[in-house]
Amino acid sequence: MALAVEMTGISKYFPSTAVQANRGVNFSAESGQVHALVGENGAGKTTLMNILYGLHQPDEGEIKINGKHVLVPTPNEAIHLGIGMVHQHFKLIPSFTVAQNILLGIEPHKYGLLRQGYENDMVRALADSFGLPVEPSEKVSNLTVGMQQRVEILKTLQRNAYILLLDEPTAVLTPQEADEFFKVLRNLAERGRTVILITHKLPEVMKVADQVTVMRHGEVIEVTSISDTNINSLAHAMVGRNIVFNKKESHVRPGEVIAEVKDLFVSSNNGAAAVMGVSFQVHKNEILGIAGVSGNGQNELTEAITGLREVDKGKVLLASLDITKAAVHERRKSGMAHIPEDRMTMGLNLQTTLDENVIVNQYRQKPYSRAGFLVAAAIRKLANSIIERFSVASAKTGEGIATLSGGNLQKLVLGRELSGNPHFIVASQPTRGLDVGSIEFVHKSLLDASRSGAGILLISVDIDEIFSLCDRIAVLYRGQIAGVLSAEDADEQKLGILMAGGNLDPAEEMTQ
Amino acid sequence: MSKSSFSKKINVLLVPVLATISGLILSSVILLLTNHSPIQAFSALVNSGFSCSKLTNCNFFQTLQLATPLILNGLSATVAFRSGMFSIGQEGQFLMGAIVAAWLGYAIHLPPVIHQIVLIAAAVLAGGMYAWIPGILKVKLNINEVITTVMMNNIAILFMSYVVNFPMNVDKGSTARSSPIDISATLPTFFQGSKWGVGFVIAIAASIIVYFYIWRSTRGYEQRMSGQSPLFARFGGIKTTRAVLRGMIISGGLAGMAGAIEVMGVHHRIMQGFSTGLGFDGVMVALLGQTHPVGVVIVGILFAGVRLGAQIGLQTFMQIPRELGGVIIALIILFVSADTFFKDVVQTTQKWLNKIFSRFRKA
Amino acid sequence: MDGSNGLLIVDLLRSGIRLATPILLAALGGAISNRAGVLDFALEGKMLLGSFLGILAAFWLHNSYGGALVAVLAGGLLGWIFAFFYLKYKVDLVILAIAINLLISEGTVFFLRTFYGNVGSWTDASIQQLPDIQIPIVKNIPVIGQLLSGYNAIIYASWILTALLYVVLFYTPFGRHIRAVGENKEAAKALGINVARIQYFALILGGGMCALGGAFLSIGHLTMFTRNMSNGRGWMAVTAALFGMNNPIGVFLASLLIGVADALAVRLQMLTTIPPMLIQFLPNVLAILALVLVGLRNRANVALIRRKFSLKSQKISEDGKSEAIS
Repeated sequence: MALAVEMTGISKYFPSTAVQANRGVNFSAESGQVHALVGENGAGKTTLMNILYGLHQPDEGEIKINGKHVLVPTPNEAIHLGIGMVHQHFKLIPSFTVAQNILLGIEPHKYGLLRQGYENDMVRALADSFGLPVEPSEKVSNLTVGMQQRVEILKTLQRNAYILLLDEPTAVLTPQEADEFFKVLRNLAERGRTVILITHKLPEVMKVADQVTVMRHGEVIEVTSISDTNINSLAHAMVGRNIVFNKKESHVRPGEVIAEVKDLFVSSNNGAAAVMGVSFQVHKNEILGIAGVSGNGQNELTEAITGLREVDKGKVLLASLDITKAAVHERRKSGMAHIPEDRMTMGLNLQTTLDENVIVNQYRQKPYSRAGFLVAAAIRKLANSIIERFSVASAKTGEGIATLSGGNLQKLVLGRELSGNPHFIVASQPTRGLDVGSIEFVHKSLLDASRSGAGILLISVDIDEIFSLCDRIAVLYRGQIAGVLSAEDADEQKLGILMAGGNLDPAEEMTQ
Repeated sequence: MSKSSFSKKINVLLVPVLATISGLILSSVILLLTNHSPIQAFSALVNSGFSCSKLTNCNFFQTLQLATPLILNGLSATVAFRSGMFSIGQEGQFLMGAIVAAWLGYAIHLPPVIHQIVLIAAAVLAGGMYAWIPGILKVKLNINEVITTVMMNNIAILFMSYVVNFPMNVDKGSTARSSPIDISATLPTFFQGSKWGVGFVIAIAASIIVYFYIWRSTRGYEQRMSGQSPLFARFGGIKTTRAVLRGMIISGGLAGMAGAIEVMGVHHRIMQGFSTGLGFDGVMVALLGQTHPVGVVIVGILFAGVRLGAQIGLQTFMQIPRELGGVIIALIILFVSADTFFKDVVQTTQKWLNKIFSRFRKA
Repeated sequence: MDGSNGLLIVDLLRSGIRLATPILLAALGGAISNRAGVLDFALEGKMLLGSFLGILAAFWLHNSYGGALVAVLAGGLLGWIFAFFYLKYKVDLVILAIAINLLISEGTVFFLRTFYGNVGSWTDASIQQLPDIQIPIVKNIPVIGQLLSGYNAIIYASWILTALLYVVLFYTPFGRHIRAVGENKEAAKALGINVARIQYFALILGGGMCALGGAFLSIGHLTMFTRNMSNGRGWMAVTAALFGMNNPIGVFLASLLIGVADALAVRLQMLTTIPPMLIQFLPNVLAILALVLVGLRNRANVALIRRKFSLKSQKISEDGKSEAIS
């Protein structure tokens, strides 16, 4: 079969972060196939695709499209060459309609004026021809995430994309939505389009791809056809060693209730309902997982518990203390720690020194301040102990932290939050975007904390993480708890059903 | 590591120097185009702003006197900027402080020291309250503080004009003005014939206090974190709205204090045209002083010297309009802020030097 | 209504329209920059440059229209410089605006004094004010004719620009690109829209419009330049753009409101003994109130959705759908 894409000897170095993202990468994809590009975070797969899409320029290497040498200086040129990209974070204009988004930059016009009715017809025709129905006049801000993704795909198809690059497309979808989505991809491949799927989820690679390229540390490790490989050998190639997906084993008998949420209602930024009547308890020594597809109220729930968002109704209790209306610093004083999802803007202040970052949760307390003034020596001592205990590489007290890697930044957050021996820890997506080593470190730290008595609420969209850490798993769906399972009872299928809003047989539901 | 911190230090020093040189070069072009000798002009400017022939007639003392409100207003802007508020309302708060001080200066009669303390305290309060308004509008309704502070400045300028023409007007002289304040309310000066006095000492003391407050106290920490990264601050348990409002009130208080000192130490009253943009200049001083008290003091004095030098050296001696001073300052601010421009220049120069150096070593 | 009262109102509106014009032009310029995602606080400086160069060019060229044209070009150039420092060297918008405003306010006086001596204002007898133009037919309609006819070219231009900008923003591909850039730069960029070019364009156009507003002051309304002639109108324009939600029609109405308020203030100053400074408070206080209204509106929107939701949440918990899980 003909090669739709052929990239040879691609190298790319980022001076600002001193990362060699691609090192002599050879990559090719045949037309009419779904080609998976897999690798860990930071393996260089997104960089490679950004080069193909003209968002980055390679330092070395050549690109051929349909056998012809090309230069891709800009996304515009990529579009001309028939390449379309669906980014991990959607690039949509919220106040524009579906049709306006799809036709942005290629609007049909007459005498220089837009033809808004005709635009809707165009989009409807396009959507029907690919079997991807949408309502062209609907505002994008009113669409579900799955529909927004459909709009993104239609955007590329409208531009006659024969090569589609999809960056982690299933991260925002339920397992069922993902299956639906895979059908769309197969359908596109059968129509002769080339689909390049960037992902680190191996099961979906096995499900949908024809070919797979594995990358690690900026290099290609393996290229194979799906029929010649299996999930374990792919995992081995991806990580460079054997990894075991295991459930949490050693069970500690959970102790008394550490924290409780009662019939909680919270609204999102635009005022819409986000959390509706959620209740649960977290016990001593226990890790309770909140699973679910992102955007089902996780952020609002986390923020309400940690005091960053107003509660509309219901209660949050810490031990037996009602903290529903307590200020953040009061919650922290009562023994709550918070590992936020966004470590770059919320968990840390990259504009200031390491010292000032490690005291934000306890700067009022002795010995870090006395008589209203900060005590530099005590703060430095704390900073040094965190650096040492959590092995934060290349960090120094008194210096900035902006140049530290994601893993080291997260270790810093972890160190600060765990240093006061909190009773209750709220951890939101604590390993998102980290490398394997850091993930293991974070997991180990959380398990240690739970063993030494803390109750932990782990909010994560990563099912593997949930399985390997949690004693009980609650699934959040559209702002409500769809069900709670004990670790022994839970499996991927059951979680999948709950995450998609389905019902389990009542007998299987966990009532303790 | 050591290399990066070294080049960082170089940049910290080089960028302002290069910016100043670029500003001066551009001003020289303007001078040449208008048929003046840049060298003569700049030496006249420096000679007049920073010279001191004899103690009774010392230009530099006048520079220090002029620097006093600039330093305090610069500190005011520094505290606001560091708290995340781009408040350019120093002019208004300065005037409000001056009005209150001038009024209490003649309306009530108290023994010295007490009278002075009461005036300054009242002016601080007035400035602080005036700054609280844009602060509360920002934190409650998210109204852009740049626009509100500009409007509040206009209102204060009009209010100043109103009080000196109407309620506080004394003699129907050519310039509308208020009664002089009591002797007990004036601030002593250091030398006969110069108005450089205790106010300057207060300004220096204020900058030391501001430094310790902003960089060493827990409240200052709260304000800086709220300014740099509100999300982080809130996450850590800092009440950001309170911290921001406190920043605005302190900022306004400093500007109000500047107004009181200008009344008590220099004019002893308020009159039409009381402020010649001393509040606005405070913003420039803060920007050029890297919003740091040490920088504010140094730049405040230099700035005052440039203003004075432009007034005396350029305008009086050389018939070059004194506004050239403002033009130079605007250009320097532009170049200082475009620091990456100079980083480009520094980097290419370094590369170039390295190349020469390595070739030299090879040979 | 008494005839003379009617005349008074027409008169008031006419001077309101005149006073609104410089603010409208600058506010439209600000609105288009805002739409492209650049909050422009340098309208004041851009206007002042227009006033200064407008009258100088009118004098040199012996043609006031030529003066207006030069002002527009100079404003565009200043807009380009602003864009260059902002887009290329990422200078903070507020600092950039402070520097530009200072540069122009001091620079204009510097050049004025260099060329024409130590003066606070300047004019020359040879400079002609832009003539008022009567629109045929319209001028004969009672009341409306008086309201709509008999202004100079810049006023008509401001109306045409309002309509034109409205059509461009909402009915042309280019306008849609501008709005897309302002709302989500990354999205626009990913589709191959040249974000920098659009922002350059918006700032250059905005600069030109501000300067035209400024030129109106020095050759349309009066025939003189005084130091700091824009006198805060640029900041009024910033407010008008925000109050008008950056929609040309809204901006037009907001500017007209400010203009009529100004005209009313002028009348009040002549007719009453209230100190003029207190009357001059009005536009400033109104501007702050306008922003408060915008802020309250934004908050009310959220509150409204919240109220709807709290009704819903009550219903849900009554349905007993949520059981405590332990």
